[in-house]
Amino acid sequence: MSQRLRELIRAVRACKTAAEERAVIAKECALIRTAFKDNNESFRHRNVAKLLFIHMLGYPSHWGQMECVRLIASQSFPEKRIGYLGLMLLLTEHEEVLTLVTNSIKNDLNHQNQFVVGLALTCVGNLATEDIARDLATDIDRLLRTSNSYTRKKAALAMARVLRKVPDLTEDFVDRITQLIKDRSHGVQITAIQLMIDVVEAEEEYAVHFTRLVPSLVRILRNLLSMGYSPDHDVSGITDPFLQVKLLRLLRLLGKSNDSTSDAMNDMLAQVATNTETAKNPGNAVLYECVQTIISVESEAGLRQLAINILGRFLLNRDNNIRYVALNVLGRVALDDLAAVQRHRNTIVECLKDPDVSLRQRALDLIYVMVQQDNVQELTTEMLNYLVVASAEQRASIGSHILDTVERFSPSAEWRVNTLITLLSIAGGDVDDAVVSSTVMYIAQEEMLYSQTVHKLFSMMKNDSQQLGLVHCAVWCIGEYGERLLQSCPASLAQNEDKVYPAVTASDVVEGLHEILVMHNANETTKSLTLTALAKLTLRFSHDPTVTPRISELVQQYKASMAVELQQRSVEYGFLLGTEPAAATSIADLGGLRNETLTRMPVIDPAAFAARRAVIDEDEDGEVMAAGNSGAIGTLQAPTSNGTAAGGANLLDLDDIFGGSAAPVAPAAAAPAAQAVPQHPKTQSTEDILADIFSTPSAGAGASAVLAPTFAAPAQPTAQPLQPTGGDLLTQLGGVEPTAAPMGSNPSATVAAPGSGAAAPAPGAQPQAWPAAAPVVAPQAAAAQTSPGTAEFVAFEKAGLLLKFTLSKPDAADNTKTMVTVTFSNSSAVGMEGLVLQVATPKFLTLQMQPPSGTSLSPNNGNTTTQVFTLTNPQHGVKNLAVKLRIQYKSKLAVGGEQQITETAQVTQFPFAF
Amino acid sequence: LLLRARSVSNPFESADFTQQHIAFEAQRYPDHLDSRSERHTPLRRWCFGLTMIRFILMVNKQGQTRLASYYEWLPIAERTALEAEMIRRCLSRNEFQCSFLEFRGYKVIFRRYASLFFIVGVTDGEDENELGILEFIHCLVETLDKFFESVCELDIMFNLEKAHFVLDEMVMNGCIVEANKQNILKPINLMEKASAEESIFSRS
Repeated sequence: MSQRLRELIRAVRACKTAAEERAVIAKECALIRTAFKDNNESFRHRNVAKLLFIHMLGYPSHWGQMECVRLIASQSFPEKRIGYLGLMLLLTEHEEVLTLVTNSIKNDLNHQNQFVVGLALTCVGNLATEDIARDLATDIDRLLRTSNSYTRKKAALAMARVLRKVPDLTEDFVDRITQLIKDRSHGVQITAIQLMIDVVEAEEEYAVHFTRLVPSLVRILRNLLSMGYSPDHDVSGITDPFLQVKLLRLLRLLGKSNDSTSDAMNDMLAQVATNTETAKNPGNAVLYECVQTIISVESEAGLRQLAINILGRFLLNRDNNIRYVALNVLGRVALDDLAAVQRHRNTIVECLKDPDVSLRQRALDLIYVMVQQDNVQELTTEMLNYLVVASAEQRASIGSHILDTVERFSPSAEWRVNTLITLLSIAGGDVDDAVVSSTVMYIAQEEMLYSQTVHKLFSMMKNDSQQLGLVHCAVWCIGEYGERLLQSCPASLAQNEDKVYPAVTASDVVEGLHEILVMHNANETTKSLTLTALAKLTLRFSHDPTVTPRISELVQQYKASMAVELQQRSVEYGFLLGTEPAAATSIADLGGLRNETLTRMPVIDPAAFAARRAVIDEDEDGEVMAAGNSGAIGTLQAPTSNGTAAGGANLLDLDDIFGGSAAPVAPAAAAPAAQAVPQHPKTQSTEDILADIFSTPSAGAGASAVLAPTFAAPAQPTAQPLQPTGGDLLTQLGGVEPTAAPMGSNPSATVAAPGSGAAAPAPGAQPQAWPAAAPVVAPQAAAAQTSPGTAEFVAFEKAGLLLKFTLSKPDAADNTKTMVTVTFSNSSAVGMEGLVLQVATPKFLTLQMQPPSGTSLSPNNGNTTTQVFTLTNPQHGVKNLAVKLRIQYKSKLAVGGEQQITETAQVTQFPFAF
Repeated sequence: LLLRARSVSNPFESADFTQQHIAFEAQRYPDHLDSRSERHTPLRRWCFGLTMIRFILMVNKQGQTRLASYYEWLPIAERTALEAEMIRRCLSRNEFQCSFLEFRGYKVIFRRYASLFFIVGVTDGEDENELGILEFIHCLVETLDKFFESVCELDIMFNLEKAHFVLDEMVMNGCIVEANKQNILKPINLMEKASAEESIFSRS
């Protein structure tokens, strides 16, 4: 229409860079703005047209809205027309400008020219807000009854918008709408049907108003079919497929769970299904809609069979579009008639091999639904085959699907383990950690399979170490069941199996793990797991004297690793294996500890595991998932030792006390303080270990500094592990030994020391800021120095709950032992139930806890309970006692209900003499 | 179909697109918008649960939008990101693969005519007939072809408002109004004539 718009388009196209284009647009916008401001009448609509172009390019153009409003009010038709177009494109239903146009639209709806009315109706249909809809509903209703079909069809869709925005008007208009079906014009029919679909979709109860229309709808459809060639509506041999599709869709909505209407349309659907010409796309569109309707309504069995057969034919079609929709519908059919879909299994499986990714995705979804007990082996094989070629982003979800399938339908334990291992060997690098941990769990459950599994994994790991998931699984198994590698074993449980895995020598196994350690794609988790496996192998291969030195040598290599986790493991295992000189002297009983810690992991109860995973899945923030980042196997172990899902969070992490898991870096935190002193002159001046402790962050290497932010972070109920420390049980054992003592009622608390060690990394949240080193040295400590025997002090007091510590020396000859009697009392007005005290100690202390005398405290100091624990301090006189407490109880609220309360505290005011 | 053959031989390719154009288009659609718009999707699906056409795009092979009509409101930044991503995906598919994509809560149905992609996004539910939409795209192209007398990309670009007028006769509120070429074009032609006369009249 305007030369200038063309010029603008040319100018924009001539731009070589984005900056140039922006400049052109900015200049043009400035010109248009000026023109708008000057109220230049003659170029207004041309300017708005230019604005549409600018808008399409993605530049802001909202400032032209007012001009559109003015154009709409104009008397000139071209201006009005462009004004409406501008309004629809530039404006949104959220803009306040719209309130200004209501009146103009109302005027135009009453205009004598049908095209002006048409413009106004289109505008209402595309933009109407709730207010506009309310204001104009009566006008639109009037237009629904005009003699002009051009106006009627637009009014029908405008009404659809009105009812969508103001659903309560439906009641008033629903009868009017049913009248529209009598219209002869296809345009009105299609929009009227759309309007009915909208009404029924929005509120199903309106369907009853339309059910009596079913015969009319069926008649319209029959007329369309029997009409023969009609040049007006023919689309490649089908009469108005658009109308047919809409009709079938409305029938579907009306026939859903309604026997009588379904009955009424039965014959017609059969006719459509059999008579539709399927050589061209329009015919297929109608047939596709028809099949969907047959499946959704309460149709006869024979008709359903016909529909399924049509889908079968669709599946064999060479056109991918048609196969796509067939798979789509079969997915829905499968939900209530799986057997019918199973018949097409081979064809569906074929679709997995198609080069088209949309098709493959659909087929995969369908296959996933189709899996049953009897076809699980075949279909899983297909899914695994597909996994090989699947794109990286699909692999994770396919892996999870396969895991789910295997868990639900597995015919035998051997098959399950083997399938999961195959899965890991194909996509071990892409799948979720959950797959790895589940695999490990299933392996651990089948003792019959230990030998062949570990052999298989070992050989797979040697052949292909690219799939980290597989490597992690293999390394874990070798650590646990490594001794089985030394004997040959048949490759399968089957009786007549000839293939045999040859025996492997111990040094081969160790070298295999060494290769994993130095492998280029090994990440920190891989290395941590491998270190643990190596440590465990010292026990598995204890008969071979050459193995232990070699393993020690490998473990030692990480003593100075930059990765805190690896360094910690290396140093701790060094002590356990007795290669660290320090260990031999200061911790005499490490030998026993070593056997205990390096023993085989207990088998996991699958139910507890599933519960744990469900909790993780529910946690939408994914924070708990993050706990798995230090190795899925680590996460897996937590539930074993805990029994309850949240158990991991219940235990104290002494790492925190000691300046974080940077511990190995800082000599102060590395166990024997005697060793620390010479290296660390600072500690000589203070007799209080805590001063030492709290100096760690400054004294330690950069690693501790890194931890500081984590430290300061506010507490969260499901706290993340501090650092990769969460990896493995063994990590914790060398370093810290928090011990939880149960107060009876809580089953999760009856854990052995190693168990709590594994769980320890999970919490990490410390609500309170740590006090500076100075006030830690309690005044009492100095005062009580000279008078051993007994001492008494208040360890904790908050919200009425008071914990009093009474210290005594049970064995006069052994001054390293201190017995602590804790007396609980409750001075508040509310009762306390389920009281659980957990105590954690620095690693130089050992702790023994007795059960409590009771777990409930009545209000107002009604009763007291006691609990006893014994601390052994081998460095008596060098380091002072210190413990950390975690107290959990349920407080009975006055208004009914209970509140779970958790408190933590550190107790440092032990008199020095103890 | 005749038109299909014709539109392929049409001078669609005559547009003098330079390499720079492609480069600058790439700059215009920064990827970081993607993540933000992803977050809006659930809300949007909730608001517009009803099955409908949610947008119609005409985008050329270089990723330049030639016509965009949205039947629900999206911020401009999100639109450009959506268009860029969509054309990238459409281009990555060949003619033997199916014309449907599932993407950001939309089901996208596209069809290519010479250098121009016609892309329709509908609610990704169970109820939209993908084959029907495909047929509708063809109907739209035929109508434009008849209106512009052998349409090409440049026709649509230089007569943006006319193309919109045609589209508005065919789709309204995300639903098909009319799929009959005569019924669509008769009023359009009348209106064009009226507009032309009136503008001559008003100028004189």
